[in-house]
Amino acid sequence: MSWIVRMIVVLPALAALAGLLTRRQRGLAAAVAVSVSAYVAVLGLIQWIAPSRTADIDSVGSLPLGDLSVPLHLLSDRVSGLVAFVVALVVLGIQVFTAWYLRDDPRYGQFAATVSLFAAGMLLLVQSGDLVLMLVGWEVMGWCSWLLIGHDSERAAARRAAYKAFIVTRVADIAMVVGIVALSVRARSTDLMAVLTATGDGTLLTIGLVGVVIGVAGKSGLVPFHDWLPDAMEGPTPASALIHAATMVAAGTYVIARLFSLYAGHDGARTLLAVLTAVTMVYAALLALVQTDLKRMLAYSTLSQIAIMLSALAAAPAELGPGAGIAHLVGHAFFKALLFLGAGWLSVLAGATAVAALRGRLRPTGALRWSMGIGLAALAGVPPLIGFFTKDTVIDAALDGATSGGGLRAWLVVVALFVTVVLTAAYCTRAWLLLDTPVAETGALPDLEPAVVAEEDVAVVTASDSADDAEVERVHAHGHAPITLPAALVVSVLAALTVVGTLFLVGLRGGVHVGLLSALLSVLLVAGAAYAVWSVSDRGRLDVADRVPSRVREPAVRGFGVDTAYVGVGRAVTAVARLVVALDRDVVDAYPRAAAVVARAAGRAGERSHRAVPSLSLLSLLVGVVVVAVLGVAAWR
Amino acid sequence: MTGLAIDYTTLLPALLPVAGLVLVLVADLVNPRLRRVPYAVAALAALGAAVATVPGLVLGGGTTRETFCLTGRTAASASAPTVDGLPQVCLWQADALGSTLQLAAAVSAVVCIALAWPRTRRRRPPDSTREPVEAVLLLAALAGTIVVAASRDVGTWLVALELATLPVIALVALSGRRSAVAGATQLLVTSLVSFALLVLGVALWFAATGSPFLTPDAALSSGGAFSAASGAPTSVVFPSVSGGVVALATVLVVAGVGFKLSLVPFHAWTPTAYAGSSVPVATFLATVSKIAALAALLVVLRAVAALGTPALVSIALLASLSMTLGNVMALRQDDVVRLLAWSTVAQAGWVVLPLVSISALGVSASATYLLTYVVATLVAFAVVAVTLRDQPGEGRSIAAYEGLWQRSPWRAGALALALTSLAGLPPGIIGLVGKITALRPVVAEGWVWLAVVAAVNAVIGVAVYLRWLRAVITAPDVVAGAGTEGAAPAPVAVARRRPVMVAGLVLASAVLVVVSVQPDLLLRLLG
Repeated sequence: MSWIVRMIVVLPALAALAGLLTRRQRGLAAAVAVSVSAYVAVLGLIQWIAPSRTADIDSVGSLPLGDLSVPLHLLSDRVSGLVAFVVALVVLGIQVFTAWYLRDDPRYGQFAATVSLFAAGMLLLVQSGDLVLMLVGWEVMGWCSWLLIGHDSERAAARRAAYKAFIVTRVADIAMVVGIVALSVRARSTDLMAVLTATGDGTLLTIGLVGVVIGVAGKSGLVPFHDWLPDAMEGPTPASALIHAATMVAAGTYVIARLFSLYAGHDGARTLLAVLTAVTMVYAALLALVQTDLKRMLAYSTLSQIAIMLSALAAAPAELGPGAGIAHLVGHAFFKALLFLGAGWLSVLAGATAVAALRGRLRPTGALRWSMGIGLAALAGVPPLIGFFTKDTVIDAALDGATSGGGLRAWLVVVALFVTVVLTAAYCTRAWLLLDTPVAETGALPDLEPAVVAEEDVAVVTASDSADDAEVERVHAHGHAPITLPAALVVSVLAALTVVGTLFLVGLRGGVHVGLLSALLSVLLVAGAAYAVWSVSDRGRLDVADRVPSRVREPAVRGFGVDTAYVGVGRAVTAVARLVVALDRDVVDAYPRAAAVVARAAGRAGERSHRAVPSLSLLSLLVGVVVVAVLGVAAWR
Repeated sequence: MTGLAIDYTTLLPALLPVAGLVLVLVADLVNPRLRRVPYAVAALAALGAAVATVPGLVLGGGTTRETFCLTGRTAASASAPTVDGLPQVCLWQADALGSTLQLAAAVSAVVCIALAWPRTRRRRPPDSTREPVEAVLLLAALAGTIVVAASRDVGTWLVALELATLPVIALVALSGRRSAVAGATQLLVTSLVSFALLVLGVALWFAATGSPFLTPDAALSSGGAFSAASGAPTSVVFPSVSGGVVALATVLVVAGVGFKLSLVPFHAWTPTAYAGSSVPVATFLATVSKIAALAALLVVLRAVAALGTPALVSIALLASLSMTLGNVMALRQDDVVRLLAWSTVAQAGWVVLPLVSISALGVSASATYLLTYVVATLVAFAVVAVTLRDQPGEGRSIAAYEGLWQRSPWRAGALALALTSLAGLPPGIIGLVGKITALRPVVAEGWVWLAVVAAVNAVIGVAVYLRWLRAVITAPDVVAGAGTEGAAPAPVAVARRRPVMVAGLVLASAVLVVVSVQPDLLLRLLG
C-alpha cells in the first residue's frame, strides 16, 4: 500500500512536468492535468478507505546529517487520508473547471501544470511524516501561489499581488523555518513522531511552537499578515479556489493539527494562536460585510473561516484532539471551492465580479443559482449543510475547552466564534440578496448609482481593487463561452458534497460533535442576523453596506490601509539596509581607504627619494650596514 | 692536500655551463657571424645543468652528494682521520636544498635564454659581438650561481658569488643605452661596496672560528667547541669574543648578500638596472641572481643555525622594510618592468622573512618562497617580453595590457596566474602556499609584529598585482585610438617568428601550473 502514498505525491509532480512539456498542445495538456488528478483522486479514495497507518514510508532515503536524523518518511493515517482525498477531489474539480474557464487563455498549459505542482506540494505536506518534507511542500506551495496569482502577468496589479503574497508569506516563513529548526534540534530528529514524543528543553519548544504559529499566520492570513489574501484575487478564479479551498491557506491548520499534542501542552503558543484567530475571524467578517467585489468578499470570508479552523486548535481541550479543526477544513474546502467556482461562472456570465455589476444576475441561472445558494447557506451555517456541522463542532470544542479549564483563552475564542457566526450570516445574506434580487425589482436607480460611484472611487484609489479586470477583459475579448457540461457538473457535484459532505467526517475522531444548546443558539443567531439584514435592506432592494458611512466604508474596502503599512515596513527595511550600506561605506570602509591613501602617499614619498643617483644608494647602503650591524650584534645571544 | 678526491659526475651541474661557455667562444672564433648558435649552445648547456642536478633531488633528507673532500676519502667512506689538521669536510656539498636551487637556476636560465633568442635569422655583421658575449655572460653567471649553492668554503663561496654577480653587470651595460649604463653603474658601485662587506664578513668569520669552512662544525668551534684540532696552526680561537664576532660576520654577510637580493636599504639599484636592461636580462636579474644570493645566504645561515641562535632582529628589520617600501613603490608604477622591479624588492622581503628564525624550518621556508617567487616572476617577465616584441613601442606600460584577455587569452591566462601567484590569491595557489610557509616560522618564533607587517603587506601586494591584472581582464577603451592603432600591426608582429620565446613562456607557465595544481610537489622537493 505504501506505493499509493508515494504515488499520490509523485504523480501530480510528474503531471506538472508533463504539462509543462506539452503546454503548446492545449488538448493534451488538459488531458494530462485532468486524467492525472482523477487518478490521484482515486488513489486518495483508496488510501482514505484503507489507510496503511504507518509513519515510516521511505521517500528518497534519509539524509546523512551527522547526529541529526532526517529520515524523510511519509505517513498515512486516517486524517492524512481524509485531507489528501479532499485535496485531490478539489484539485480534480478545479482542473476540470479550469479547462473550460481558461479555454481561451494562451497560457492555459502553464496554469494547469502549476496547479498540478501546487497539488503535489499540498499532498506532500499532508502525507509528510517529517518536518523537512513538510517544509518542502510548504515552500512549493508558496512558490506556486506566486505563479498562480501572477498568472495574468501582463497586468501590473496581478504582478504586484503576486509579489505581495510571496513577500508577506516569506517574511512569516522566516519564523516557520526557525520554528521547525528549533523543534528538530530539540528532538535531534526531523521525524514527526520523534518531534512529537521528544521531551526536554522548554525554550526550544516555545521557540518552535511560536515560530510555527507565526509561519502559519503568514500562509493562513491571520492578522497582521492577512492583507495579501484579498489582493490574491488578482489571480484567475480557479487559482483563488485552489489557494483558498483546500490547500495553501488551509495548510497551516493541518500543520498545527499534526503538532497538536505539542500545542495542547503549551499554553503560551496556544494563547497567541487564540488571540490571532479571534481578532482575525471577527475583523475579516466585518470587512467581508462591506466589500464591493464578490471575490474580495469571498477572500475575507476565507480569512474568517480559516481563523475559525485554527481557533478550534487553539481552544479545544487536549483530549478532544484536532478533529474539529480538520473537520472544518474539509467542510470549508467543499463550500469555498463551490463558491469560488460559482463566482467564476457568474463572472463569466456577467463580465464582472463587482457586486454592483452582478446585482440580480443570479436569478435567471438555474443550477448556478441553486449552487450559490447552497454555498452561501453552508458558509452561513444553515443546517443541515456541512458548514453548520463543522462550525458547530468547532464551537462545541471551544466551549468544551472553556468549561474544562481552558480559561480566558477558550472564552475569548467562544465569544469571537459567536460574533463571527452573526457576521457571517449577515454577509452571506447580503450577498445572496444582492445577487438574487432582480434589478428591476429594486426600482431604485439612485441606489445603484452610489454603488457604482463608490466602485469607481475605489478603483481609482486602490489599484488592487480591480480583481475583475482579468475576467472582464477575457469576456470582452472572447465573448461568452458557454459553460461545458463537465464544468457545470463540477459545480453541481461540489454543491451536492456541500449538502452530504458531513458523511465524510463520520470516521474522523471528534469530526462531528455538535452540542444541542450551542447549535440551537447558533441557528437562532444565524436566523436573526439573516432577518435583520433582510429587513434593513428592504427585502434586498438596498445594499446593507451602503448604510455604513462612506468615511468608514471606503477605508474598510481598502483593508484599512494595511497595504500601506506593509509598504512602510518594506521601506523601513530598505532604509535600514541603506543605513547599513552607508555605515559600511563611510565608516567601516574608511579604514581600508585610509590604508590605500597612506600607501599611495608613502609611494609618492618613496619616489621622491629614489632618484637613481649612485651616491644616494651608497649612502643608504652604508646607513643600512651600520644599523644592521649594530642591531645584529646587540641582539645576538 | 694529498687526498683531494674529485667526483666529476657530482660536479656536472657546474661543469656543463662552463663547457658551454668554452664551446660558445670556440664557435665564435670559428665562425663569428653566427647569430643563434651561441644561444642554442647556452640553452643546451643550461638544460644539461638542469638535468645534472636531478640526481641530487632524489636524495633523501640528510644525504648529500659531496666531492672535493679534503680527507682523501670518497663520498662513500666515513669517519676517516683528518688530514693536515683540517676537519673532515667536503668543499662541494649538494644536498636536496642546494640541488633544488641549482635546478631552479638552470631552468630559469633556460627561460631567459629563450627570451633573449635573436629575432632575425640574418647573419650578424662581423663587428657585432653581442650574441656570443651575452651567451657567455649568462652561462658564467649561471655557473657562479650553481657553484655558490654547493660551496662550503669561504674562497669558493666568495669567488662563485662574484662570478654570479659581475657578468650580470656587464649584461646590463651591454645594450649600450644611456639608461642601461646608468643602471650598470649603480649596480657596479653597489656591488663593489657589498663585496667589501662580504669579504669583511668572511674575514670576521675566519677570525672568529678559525676555520675557512662555512659549516656547522666551524660555527660551533667559535664557542670553544672546536677541540678536535686544537694544535693546528689555523685554529686561532678567542672564545670570549668570538660569539660577537660571528654575529657581526653574519650580519655583514646578510648586508652584503642583501644587495643582491635587493633588500631595502640596499635596493636602490634595482629599478634603475631593471628598467635600463633588456627584458631577458632583467628576468635573469630577477630570477637567477636572486637564487644565487639566497643560496649564498643559506650556506652561511645553515652553518650559523648550529649555534642555536633564536633569531636575527636585523633580518626582521630588513624584511619588513623591503616588503613595505617595495609594495608602496610598486603601487605607483605604470611601467610594468619597474613594477616588477619593485615587486622584486617586496618579494625579497618575503624571501628573507622566514630567516628571522635561523633554523632548518626557516631555511626551507625561505627556499620554498624563493622558488614560488622565481616561477611566478619568470612567467610574468616572459609575458612582458612576448608583449614587448609584439608592441615594441608601448609594451612596457600597464595600458598596453588592456584587453589582453580578448586578444590572446592564453598569454593573459598565464599572466593572470603569475600575478595571482605573486599576490598570493587563488588561482595562484602556490603563492598562497608560499606565503603561509614563509609566515609559519615567524609565527612559531612568536614574532607577532613581524607577522602583522607581513599580513598588511600581503594586502598591499594584492592591490599591486590586481592593478595590473585589472588592465589585463578589462576590455580596452574604444576611445583609446592610439592604443588600437598600436594594436593594429600586432597581428603582423604575431606572425613574426618567435617560437622559441613562446616556448620559454610555455615552459615557465607549465612549471607554474604544475606547482600551482600540486604545491605538494614543491614542498616535498625541499624536504
